[in-house]
Amino acid sequence: MLKRLVKWARVKSPWILHFNSGACNACDIEILAALMPHYDLERFGILLKASPRHADVLICSGPVTKQVAKRLKRIYDQMPEPKFVVAVGACACSGGAFRGCYNVMEGVDQVIPVSAYVPGCPVKPEAIIDGVAKLLGKLQQSAA
Amino acid sequence: MDAIKVLIYIAIFPGFLFQSVFSTYLEWLDRKLYARMQNRLGPLYTGWNGILQPVADILKLFAKEDIVPASADKFMFNLMPVLSLASVFAAGLYLPIWHLTSYNSFEGDLIVVAYLLAIPSFALFLAGWFSVSPFSLIGATRVLTQLFAYEVPFFLALLTPAVMAGSWKIATISSYPWTSGSWWVIPVQLIAFGVALLTLQAKLERVPFDSPEAETEVVGGPLTEYSGKKLGMFRLQKDILLFVGSALVAALFLGGFGGGIILGCIQLVLKTIFVVILLSVVRAACARIRIDQIVTFSWKYLAPASLVQLLIVLLIKGWKGVA
Ligand code: SF4
Repeated sequence: MLKRLVKWARVKSPWILHFNSGACNACDIEILAALMPHYDLERFGILLKASPRHADVLICSGPVTKQVAKRLKRIYDQMPEPKFVVAVGACACSGGAFRGCYNVMEGVDQVIPVSAYVPGCPVKPEAIIDGVAKLLGKLQQSAA
Repeated sequence: MDAIKVLIYIAIFPGFLFQSVFSTYLEWLDRKLYARMQNRLGPLYTGWNGILQPVADILKLFAKEDIVPASADKFMFNLMPVLSLASVFAAGLYLPIWHLTSYNSFEGDLIVVAYLLAIPSFALFLAGWFSVSPFSLIGATRVLTQLFAYEVPFFLALLTPAVMAGSWKIATISSYPWTSGSWWVIPVQLIAFGVALLTLQAKLERVPFDSPEAETEVVGGPLTEYSGKKLGMFRLQKDILLFVGSALVAALFLGGFGGGIILGCIQLVLKTIFVVILLSVVRAACARIRIDQIVTFSWKYLAPASLVQLLIVLLIKGWKGVA
């Protein structure tokens, strides 16, 4: 009973943290567009938080440059459990346009575990919302 | 028998349970109004029209991992959320809901409530100070600076109805229009009402006075390092402060909650909602102002305005005394 209640609360109130791990900025603009009043993510209880300590979902855009990898790991470690990572954009999924460059890690999952991938270059705001919604759906189905 | 009654007052109504439930409702109302004024819908899918959204937020926070940073002072870091939550709960017990709260009301409880409502700000400052991170330190100093700005005008504004009623007892002040039949005191105290609203907004650290936790500048302000349960406590504390502050302003300036137990409770709910709506409009209509602008604004405009209001009240009282 208590577990179900907690799961319900978790699904209904995902707070997100946006981290640019070396994106070309197009994906970031799309993420911001998804947060604008037009799509109004607060409908689902999604709030943008500034501190990793407050966040549940880390939204990463970009292929993770070698320089940012350490910081990404640290931000991830600062988030309290349970935490989820959504990789937004072709870059974040696999390196995308930057695949094979000498200075990138080719995807967020090279550094931290990723729960959902949203491909696209850049991704559409609708796709981001769909990705997060699917993540929440998965969470809903998972056994507590 | 009396002991049981008092326990019920403290635990259920108007104590912890009622305060927690009603204050989450107020947060929902505030968020919804704020969203509507920004042409959004606001929380929608959590319960009826998202009414359970604040509950879900707080439950989720309570079930999350609770991190204490290595550099933080453990004792103070853990104490502050509890202290601030306890003080607002205690302040809420003094709200004059008809005769329900007469067991703890005494001459001078207005000062006690003002003191209890000042503790959360200090707790917030200490919380930021003892988290020892650059962002929380900047946020903490801003909390304190802001405290210097709004606290004196807030007290001056609360003084006005007290002088008018000639008493320091919240119950007497709020029932003054009922007992003396002089309802004209409400329009006369409009300036102080406005000052109290704005300073309450600053106390709650909401736009335009939210520079202590301006997330575009200092991440989360004093709460940057807080997570899980303790963040949840701070959130609940803010909601209850919103309720207690609004109810106190409603009690002092809008004629209180007199006229029997049922009418009293209905008035408590409606008048508090009215004050919260005003606060939401201020929040939606303004942009954040800088910390020095907050201090200037408070001392240049709010403090003199409340002094003028005090003068008006004193003149009226003197004139009535002569006539
Ligand atoms: S996926 Fe495309 S748009 Fe997004 S960050 Fe990479 S290159 Fe830029």
